[in-house]
Amino acid sequence: MTKTPVVWLCLALSAAALSAQSTGRYQAPVVSDTGGLQGPRQPIFFRHDIHSGQDQIPCMYCHYSAAVSSEPGIPALQTCIGCHQLIGGSTPSHQAEIKKVRDAWRERKPPEWTRVHALPGFVRFPHQRHIKALGAQSCTKCHGEVQRMPQVYQVSTLRMGWCVRCHVANKPNKVSRDCTVCHY
Amino acid sequence: MTEGMDRRRFLKVLGVAGAGAATLSACGIGPEPTEKLIPYLIQPEDQIPGTATYYASTCRECAAGCGIHVRVREGRAVKIEGNPESPINRGRLCARGQAALQGLYNPDRVTGPKVRNAAGGYDPIAWDDAITRLQAKVTAAQGHGIVFLTGADSSAFGDLVDEWMHRVGGRRLSYEPFGFEALRAGNRLAFGTAAVPAYDFANAKYVLSFGADFLDTWLSPVTFQNGFARAHGFDGGREASMAKFVFVGPRMSLTGMNADEWVAALPGTEGTLALALAQVIVSRRLAPLPADVGRLAALLGRHTPAAIAAAVGVEQEVIVRLAIEFANAKGGLAVAGGMAAQYPNGAAIVAAVNILNYVVGAVGKLVKFGPDLAVGDAATFGDVAALTTDMAAGKVALLFVHGTNPAHSLPGAFTQALGKVGYTVSFASQLDETAAAADMILPDLHPLEQWNDSRPRAGVFALQQPAMQPVFPETRHTGEVLLRVLGRTGTFQDHLQTRWRELHRRFGAGQSFEQFWMDAVQHGGLYGDAPARSVRLADSAARIFPAAAALEGSGDQTIVVFPHPVLHDGRGANKPWLQELPDPVSKIAWHGWVEVHPDTAGRWGVATGDFLLLKSAFGAVSAPVWITASVRPDVLAVPTGQGHAAYGRYAKNRSFNAFELLGAQANGYGGRTFAVRATATKTGEHRNIVTTEGSPRERGVGSVEVLSLARAKALIPGGPPFHPTGPSSVPPSEETPEYAKKAVEWWEERQFEQAELGDYQGEQPRWGLAVDLSKCTGCSACVTACYAENNLATVGEELMQRGREMAWLRLERYWLTDEHGRPQGAVSSPMMCQQCGNAPCEPVCPVYAAYHTPDGLNGQVYNRCVGTRYCSNNCPYKVRYFNWYNYAEPGGAWEAWPEPLPMLLNPDVTVREKGVMEKCTFCVQRIRGAQNQARLEDRTVRDGEIVPACAQSCPSEAIVFGDLHDRASQVSKLAGDPRGYHVLAGLNTKPAVTYLARVVSDG
Repeated sequence: MTKTPVVWLCLALSAAALSAQSTGRYQAPVVSDTGGLQGPRQPIFFRHDIHSGQDQIPCMYCHYSAAVSSEPGIPALQTCIGCHQLIGGSTPSHQAEIKKVRDAWRERKPPEWTRVHALPGFVRFPHQRHIKALGAQSCTKCHGEVQRMPQVYQVSTLRMGWCVRCHVANKPNKVSRDCTVCHY
Repeated sequence: MTEGMDRRRFLKVLGVAGAGAATLSACGIGPEPTEKLIPYLIQPEDQIPGTATYYASTCRECAAGCGIHVRVREGRAVKIEGNPESPINRGRLCARGQAALQGLYNPDRVTGPKVRNAAGGYDPIAWDDAITRLQAKVTAAQGHGIVFLTGADSSAFGDLVDEWMHRVGGRRLSYEPFGFEALRAGNRLAFGTAAVPAYDFANAKYVLSFGADFLDTWLSPVTFQNGFARAHGFDGGREASMAKFVFVGPRMSLTGMNADEWVAALPGTEGTLALALAQVIVSRRLAPLPADVGRLAALLGRHTPAAIAAAVGVEQEVIVRLAIEFANAKGGLAVAGGMAAQYPNGAAIVAAVNILNYVVGAVGKLVKFGPDLAVGDAATFGDVAALTTDMAAGKVALLFVHGTNPAHSLPGAFTQALGKVGYTVSFASQLDETAAAADMILPDLHPLEQWNDSRPRAGVFALQQPAMQPVFPETRHTGEVLLRVLGRTGTFQDHLQTRWRELHRRFGAGQSFEQFWMDAVQHGGLYGDAPARSVRLADSAARIFPAAAALEGSGDQTIVVFPHPVLHDGRGANKPWLQELPDPVSKIAWHGWVEVHPDTAGRWGVATGDFLLLKSAFGAVSAPVWITASVRPDVLAVPTGQGHAAYGRYAKNRSFNAFELLGAQANGYGGRTFAVRATATKTGEHRNIVTTEGSPRERGVGSVEVLSLARAKALIPGGPPFHPTGPSSVPPSEETPEYAKKAVEWWEERQFEQAELGDYQGEQPRWGLAVDLSKCTGCSACVTACYAENNLATVGEELMQRGREMAWLRLERYWLTDEHGRPQGAVSSPMMCQQCGNAPCEPVCPVYAAYHTPDGLNGQVYNRCVGTRYCSNNCPYKVRYFNWYNYAEPGGAWEAWPEPLPMLLNPDVTVREKGVMEKCTFCVQRIRGAQNQARLEDRTVRDGEIVPACAQSCPSEAIVFGDLHDRASQVSKLAGDPRGYHVLAGLNTKPAVTYLARVVSDG
C-alpha cells in the first residue's frame, strides 16, 4: 500500500468534517471527564465517536478484513499515522492524544489496546459471513452504536443464547443453528 | 421408547435442580480474562488477519527436495503441505516433512551463538565477536587442515561452502549416514556412470525390489510412493489391472510389507538371485533381448537357478516363476537399494539388478539416466572414514559441521577423533551430539526461516524462501555468516538472486529477471526436464561377482541395521510427533527394538519386551525383543534413530543407538556395511514396549477386506459389490436386514422430527470419505498431518503405554499370510471416525455433546462435553480419544507443547482441555472455511475444494473426501465401487467412510 492515496482520502475526510458543522451532521461531544465513560480505559483516548460518527469514516476503512476474513483485525499504527501525519488535532486534549500516536510511531512501539469484545477459545465467529448476510452497515447490530461512543464498551453479552436468538429469528432465511458451525 | 421422562430430560432436570448455582462459573463459559491487543506497526501486505497465507518453499528434512506450501497465520507457520506444482511430490508430503514444524519451534533449539568456556560449559557471545573469532581461527588454521562437513546439500549454500573452502585451502565433505555409494558404484560397474537415475514406478507393470525401501527412506520416497500407488493400485476395468510387487530381503520393511509376495533370500544373495532371473529370461528368450547381451553369457551361465538356489535360499521353481512373471509383464522394473546395497558386496548386487533391468529393456524406459538425482553428488563413506583417520591423527586444525550429526552415526570413532581436532565450529540449530562437542556453536536458521535453493534432480531447481521471521532473533543464516567472512556485502537472498540470474539467462527468455524471479518464488522453483541419456553395458558388467561376502565379526547371528522409517538416521528423534508415531511395521513408538523370528525366540525362550544384549566386533547394545515372522529366522534386525546422548528432551537417553554395532571403516566400494555378525544373549531385563499392534482399540476384529486379483477383476464397475468375508461384514445391500428395517426407519423419523431444532430438512451435503486400501501403504503421513492440523497432543511414552494416545487417525496393520502362516505382506487400514449415519455414540451422550449435524457429521461439542466417556464405550470403532490430563497446561506434568511449540497450534481448532472427549471431525474447520469462502463468492462448494489434512498429505492419493449426496462427486463414485465395503457394517452404523478392498496380485 502506498501512502499517498491514504493521505488524500484523509484530507478529503477532514474537509468533510470541517463542513459538518454547517450541514448539521453529528457533532461528537466534548468529553471533559473521562472517568465517567463506560468501557475500559485505553492507552490512547481514541474516539470512535469522532472518527466514525462525526467524520463518517466507514468502519471497514480501518477494520478492513471484517468483510473478507473471520477476523476484523486491529488497524496497524500505519493506518493511524496515514492521516495523523497531517491532522494534528484542533483542541489541546486532542493534540495530546494524537501526539501519543505520533510518538508511538516514532518509537516503533504500538499501543497495547485493552480488548473489549472477546469470545471464548472454543467459538469461531466468521465476521465475513455476517457482513455478507447483513450488509456493510451491520457492525452496530452486535457492537452497538460505536459511532456514538467516546470510549468503546461492550453492548451485547456475546453469550450463546444471544447468538442463537438471532439465528432463530432468521429461520426463514435458513440460518444454521448447528453446533459445529461455531464450535470446533 | 415410552412417553414421559426420557433419560436426557431426567438429567437435564437433575442438572438444574442440583447444580444450578454452579452453572455460571462452571465450564469456563464466557469471555477470557482481559487481554491486550497489540496492533502491527505496519500491516504486512500479504497477511490478512484470520486468513492463511501460503508460501512456496522446499522441504529440507531429507535430500529428496519435495516442494512445500507453508501455511502462515498471523505471521507464524502453522502447517506444511505439499506443493501440487512440484514434480517431485505432486502436492503430497510424508510424516517427516510434516514434522519440520517441530524442528522450527523445537523447545531445545540453540537460541544464540555460544562459545565454550574454561569450565567446559558455554558462554553466550555476540555475533560480531563470534565472526571475528571465526576469521582468526581460519587464518591460524590455514595450511593445517580445514574441513567443512555438511549433509547432502546441492544448493546455493553448499556451493558457497565450496567457494569458501577453496579460498582458504580447505575441503568440504557432505555426509549422509545412509549414503548411496553402492548405487553409484553398481551403476558404474554396469553402465560406466556413477549417476543415480530416476525410477519411473508409475509406469511399471511389475515391480521387483531387492531391498530398496522406496516407500520409507530410499532416495525420494514421496515421488516413488505416488508412482507406485498408481502402478500397484487396482483400477476396475483397466486392462492390466495392477502391477505385482515382489520384495526380496531378509526383513519386511514398510516397503516390503506392501508386497504381494515376499522372497526372503539369504542376506547378501540378492545379486545372485537377480542374475539367476536374468539367466532364465535370456536362456528362454522371454523378452526381446538387447544386442550386446551375449557379453553376459559366461556370467549368466554361472547363475542358473539350479546352481544358485541353495546359496540363495529360494526354491528353483520360485526363481523360474518370478523370472517368467517379470518378463511377461512387459514393463518390469527392478530396483536395488536399502539393505541390499549395504552389504560388503552391495555394489555387485546393484550391478546385477541393473543387468536384470537391462535384459528386459527397462533401462532407458523405467530407469532413466539424465534426470539424475542429486544424492549422486554426496561424498562417500570412505571419504568420511578417511577424515576420521585424519582427525585422529591431528591433521585437522579446524572443523566446521553443518546439517549432519556424525557423532551420533559414528559413535565411537568420530567422537574420539573429534577430541583431536584443533577447533570445532558447529552450525547446528539443536544441540546434537556433534554440536555438544563443538568449541563454538553458531546456530543456523531453520530451513523454514531461510533463503536457499536445491537441485533435487537434474532439471528441477527448487527454491526455499523464509515463511516467517526467525523464531529466535539471535540465530543467523549460516550462508550470511559465510558471506561475511568472505568479505561480501549483501544478504544471502541477494547472493541467491545473483546465482539465479544465470538460470534466467538459460530459461527466462522474454521475461525480465524480476518477473522470472517472482514467478519462481511463487511456484517454489523452476520445474524442467533433463534430457534422457542412454547408457550401454560397460565391460565391467560381465566381470561382477555378486555372491554373498562374509560379514565382519564372529558371532553366530547376522544383524542388519536399517533406517527407521520416520526417525531415519536419528534426525527426527527430537520431534514428539515422530516419536509418538508408531513405526508402520512394528507399530512400536518411543523406543527401539530388535526383530526376532518366533522360531528363534522360542529357541531362546524370549518374549516381546525381553532385552537381548547384542554384541558385535565394534560395540554392543541392549535392545528389547519384538517377535515377528516378518524377519528371517537367522537374522536379527534393529532400527536406527534412537539412543541419543544429547539432541534434546525427547531424544536424549532414549533406547539404544544401533550405529554402535557398526564398524567405522569403509568397505570395498567406499560405503558402509550395515550388517554384522554378532552374539545375542538374554540380559534378564524386560520392558513393556509401547506398541499399537493389536491395540485394544482394534478389539481383536480385523477391519480389512482382501480380494485376489482374479476376484477383483470379475467385479463389474457399477455392478453389485463383492461379498465381504470379514467379521461383522455384510454387503451394503444387506446392511439393514429385514427384521431391523422397522427400527431403523423409526430412528430416522425421530431424527427428522428433531429437525425442528436445526435445519435437517434443507438440502444438505453428506460428507464422506473413501479409502482405497489398494493404494494405502501404511506410511503414516496422514497421521502426522492430522496431529499438525488438529492440535493433537502428544502424550509421551508412559501414557501411550496406558493406551491414552490421541491419534484421531490410526493405522491398523494386519499381516497377509501364505498357506504356511508366513507373512507375505500386510494391509494397513487408516481408521478414523466413521461419521456414522446411525451413530452409537450419539444417543448415549447425556449432554448432547455428541450429536448428529445436518451435514451428516457426528459432531463433538467440546465445551458441552462433561467427560462421561459413554460415547467412547459405545463406539464400535474405538476412534474416540479422551483428554485424561490437561496437555496444554504450561509447565504441567504432561505438557505437550513446551514453549515455543504452542506457536504451531492451528488457530482454527480449539485446544481441548482435561476431561473432554475428542475425535476426527473430517477437518470440520476446513469444511466451514470452504463454505464461508463459497458464501462470499455466492456459489456452492465445489467437489474437491474441501480436502482434509489426511487426504491432502497422502502420498499415494488413497483418501478422497467429498459430498456423498452429489452423485457426480469423486467420493460418490468411489463409494459405489464394487470393491467398497463398510467396516463392521453388520452393526448397522451406516458409516460415511467407504473402504475399497485391498487387491493382492496372485501372479
